[in-house]
Amino acid sequence: MMRIRLSLAVIFAMVVLVTALFIGPEPINPLHIKGIDKEILLSIRLPRVLVSVLMGMGLGASGAVLQGVLRNPLADPYILGLSSGAALMAVVGIISGLTFWGAFTVPLLAFIGALTTGVFVGAMGWKRGGFWPDRLLLAGVGLGFLFSAILMLIMTLSSDEGLRRATLWIFGDLSMTDWAFIPYGTIFILAGLLLSLSRAKALNALILGDELSHSLGFSPRRERLILFISIGLMTSASVSLGGMVGFIGLLIPHIGRFIIGPDSRGLIPLSALGGGVLLCIADLIGRSIIAPVELPAGIITAIIGAPYFLYLLRRRDILGT
Amino acid sequence: MGHSDNTILEFREVAFSYTRGNGFIEALSFSIKTGEFIGLLGANGSGKSTILKLGSGILKASSGDVRLWGRPIHSYRHKDRAKLLSYLPQILDMNIPFTVEELVGMGLYPYDTPPELNIDQAIEMVGLGEHRTTPLKNLSGGERRRAYIAMTLLQGAGLLLLDEPLANLDIKYQIELLRLLRDLRARRDIAIVMALHDINMALQFEKIMLIRQGRILGTGTPEVILTRDSIREAFDIEVEIKRDSEGPYMMYQIIS
Repeated sequence: MMRIRLSLAVIFAMVVLVTALFIGPEPINPLHIKGIDKEILLSIRLPRVLVSVLMGMGLGASGAVLQGVLRNPLADPYILGLSSGAALMAVVGIISGLTFWGAFTVPLLAFIGALTTGVFVGAMGWKRGGFWPDRLLLAGVGLGFLFSAILMLIMTLSSDEGLRRATLWIFGDLSMTDWAFIPYGTIFILAGLLLSLSRAKALNALILGDELSHSLGFSPRRERLILFISIGLMTSASVSLGGMVGFIGLLIPHIGRFIIGPDSRGLIPLSALGGGVLLCIADLIGRSIIAPVELPAGIITAIIGAPYFLYLLRRRDILGT
Repeated sequence: MGHSDNTILEFREVAFSYTRGNGFIEALSFSIKTGEFIGLLGANGSGKSTILKLGSGILKASSGDVRLWGRPIHSYRHKDRAKLLSYLPQILDMNIPFTVEELVGMGLYPYDTPPELNIDQAIEMVGLGEHRTTPLKNLSGGERRRAYIAMTLLQGAGLLLLDEPLANLDIKYQIELLRLLRDLRARRDIAIVMALHDINMALQFEKIMLIRQGRILGTGTPEVILTRDSIREAFDIEVEIKRDSEGPYMMYQIIS
């Protein structure tokens, strides 16, 4: 049953991705690709679609893992403060106009910001040889507030053009994507995804509590550490690729649970697929709807995703209460 | 105190404290052999749960040794230990998202090739056959507890450490669970240690271990161990032990 649903989801995702390549502000006829169309397809659309899918996959999967690790259905990967760290560094890069590594500068700064924050939050949440979920959460929230405050301070004091780009980035801006991002994004997001999938049984056991995980043959401390690393890799890489796209990490896992159930072996891959598809569609809408002006993908995900989620919340018992 | 062939779990001079310098358990020694079904009886806070957690390796002794099949329990890989010993905590999280079938199936996690029992059999054994695909949160407290017990049974370990598994169960299911576990022990020669606080339930056991403040007051048959004096010491109550054709039962009288 789980395999069938996952296979259907994979097919659906492929269809969406291919479709997203050919429609947009300039529709391309897939049966008749002209010279300029080929150029648009290969150097603009394809990298952009791939980046949106990678980002969405990272956010959806890390949300599913984090909600299990923290045993909290309200957890969002951004709650760990990683995104605030990424945003702070990225905005510093954008506003000060740093370009020491070309197009890669802002993503690199964001990735460094997210990873550093992750290590710091991890250190704060670590006590007596293991992570304490509540400590992790509070450390992330505390650090997030601090970084947001510094971010706002910098933005208040900065020039208009820098401010506009920084604002776009914060809401998820994929317009700066480049082929150069793809290998790096793929490596980190796939590494995190495979790591969490390899620990999916342990994650199910952790949902039952530490004592039962122990009885079922897992070390709760070690499993939480591995899963936290996988969340850190996926979230940091996602945020650095195109900014803070909201909604996916929090709500895609709930929709996934409704479709495939709570077993992490199905939920993690489905949340990855769902996140990838949603962000791809959101970005497609964002760049087409009032072209040539582009709307940040994060705004679109929230506008189409939140009502659907609220509908599910009313219609179905997705929170388990 | 040497390790004999049928000793599954052995405590050797085990000491443990929750707060540094304030010993809760000191020099505790006992062993559990295959086929034994032991009731660990004591009042709230007497140390029953702590002993079971030490025995399952969740807590580490500050000194002394807890041995599983003659080897220190922490020398096992987690997965290997899980095939030999399973532990069911007293407090079970009832608000989990899984169905009965999904929860029970987790009992197979330590295995690459499943043991003899399958998921459906385990669910049937605890009488939840009609609820296989029901989410746990839609079951009653007692049904949920039975689902967890089915998971523990499916895990197929030779030693079950069960912390108050009878709590929240109707008397019918208390009796049925005891019967089920006895039957299982007889068929598969496993050992079971079950924490209890109900003295009348303890009378159902062949062997009990009476605990007070982390010490063993006595080990043996209920007839020998449960005397007026030992119960006064363990529970701070006066009792009268009566017998009729069905066996012994307790009459309680609270002392101030």
